[in-house]
Amino acid sequence: RSVPGRGPRRYKAPPSEGSPALEDPTPDYMNLLGMGRGALAVPQLKWCAWIAVYCSFISFANSRSSEDTKQMMSSFMLSISAVVMSYLQNPQPMSPPW
Amino acid sequence: MRSLCILLAVLFIPWSFASAKYDEFEDGDDIMEYDDNDFAEFEDVSEDAITESPQRIITTEDDEEEATVELEGQDENQEDFDDADAQEGDTESEPYDDEEFEGYEEKPDASPSKSKDPITIVNVPAHLQNSWESYYMEILMVTGLLAYIMNYIIGKNKNNRLAQAWFSTHRELLESNFALVGDDGTNKEATSTGKLNQENEHIYNLWCSGRVCCEGMLIQLKFLKRQDLLNVLARMMRPACDQVQIKVTMNDEDMDTYVFAVGTRKALVRLQKEMQDLSEFCSDKPKSGAKYGLPDSLAILSEMGEVTEGMMDAKMVHFLTHYADKIESVQFSDQFSGPKLMQEDGQLTKLPETKKTLLFTFNVPGSGNTSPKDMESLLPLMSMVIYSIDKAKKFRLNREGKQKADKNRARVEENFLKLTHVQRQEAAQSRREEKKRAEKERIMNEEDPEKQRRLEEAALRREQKKMEKKQMKMKQIKVKAM
Repeated sequence: RSVPGRGPRRYKAPPSEGSPALEDPTPDYMNLLGMGRGALAVPQLKWCAWIAVYCSFISFANSRSSEDTKQMMSSFMLSISAVVMSYLQNPQPMSPPW
Repeated sequence: MRSLCILLAVLFIPWSFASAKYDEFEDGDDIMEYDDNDFAEFEDVSEDAITESPQRIITTEDDEEEATVELEGQDENQEDFDDADAQEGDTESEPYDDEEFEGYEEKPDASPSKSKDPITIVNVPAHLQNSWESYYMEILMVTGLLAYIMNYIIGKNKNNRLAQAWFSTHRELLESNFALVGDDGTNKEATSTGKLNQENEHIYNLWCSGRVCCEGMLIQLKFLKRQDLLNVLARMMRPACDQVQIKVTMNDEDMDTYVFAVGTRKALVRLQKEMQDLSEFCSDKPKSGAKYGLPDSLAILSEMGEVTEGMMDAKMVHFLTHYADKIESVQFSDQFSGPKLMQEDGQLTKLPETKKTLLFTFNVPGSGNTSPKDMESLLPLMSMVIYSIDKAKKFRLNREGKQKADKNRARVEENFLKLTHVQRQEAAQSRREEKKRAEKERIMNEEDPEKQRRLEEAALRREQKKMEKKQMKMKQIKVKAM
């Protein structure tokens, strides 16, 4: 095996991998959707709160490594608190939409 | 799209307000029923009401509140009547006492109906029942979440296993060809980490370097998003495969100037639209490779015929034919700069930086249902990559080819400059105007009138000088023309 002349190059994380935001907007949307629903629906609609929880889970699963974990955790907490608060205020079970 | 999401979220507000109001009413009704039930209980204990009640239905229906109370008593008695009739035919005294408590449970249901038909068994409002069954929607939701979490764990582990299987298969070949295998850029010294760099739950990177001809090779294992249940369900509609993407960055002196691509027709059409270099240098549609012995599924995009001739030697054709099902695209380019950048007008003042690159995209067999064993079948493809690196170094264009290539590159650059000339002019113009405006503002804002006058004079002088310069230039041009 021939010895390299210059020595091996180091790994540099590529500066922008083809604008990742355009390639896969899923985590961003899900995050936004989750936080929006959680914030708006806090005590009132259980459906909103549950969907917010789902959105935050989906966003977590789709997250890219560059995503801020703080944002993830905050959307998580917000959606779970929305669910809890809506049940404290209104302990009735959810009725299906049909 | 973000505005759409915000709109959706906003739409929930009025709906939630409406449903909240509805909830309040329901609560109110429940409370009322309870009050009536308390009273009704006492009334029902006295057995005098039994015989009188059938008449009371007719007489007291006008007064609603009393009617509810008596209706309740009536309902209960009717039920007891029915039960008694059904069972014994006796009058009600003893069974009535036992059944009083049964009937009591269903009292809250009877009153809201207020219908002429006394026996209306309405369902007990769910939260008054002490059963888990009424919370079936919640249980469904929680089950869904648990299913999602389970899928996340399973998917993550599967991707991890596939990645490790790939790496263990290819490790030997890579270590024999590269001095540095596995580097995440964090260590101070260039030492092989000897393992994959996990960027994500579905993307794994490996950087190899330390070989003649190439600066380095970045391997990306782009698996399917098995950890996301939504993605798994979407894939049931539209099958997709895991991909392995290999990007070899060549040294400047080790590759001649040409642009060439081979792959599936669909992939090439897409790349030709997306990739900066392919769209500029390979203007023809992808051609069939049958002339060189390639299967029909593969097509060729090339800058010039000579390059295709040079690239399609026996060994390469052998690789391409044997592993055609796994090859998505192969791109050799000295002008590689990635996909076309979507920039706003006015910002595109410089050509994007280019690097001499060999780019390979392989499909993992199994189309989604891959097992770790499938990774072994990708090993020959890695040999193809290594072979291509050496080939790219050896292949040189002849004189004609080189001239053509240089002409092409000059043409592309010229086009680019022409395109941006107008934009650059506009940019310069706007910059000049900005400067003038800023100066004027400064002069206006100057409170001291003396200073104001001085600044104005200075600005005037500068403008005069500019005019003079322009006139001089015009004169010179005229003289030269003559």
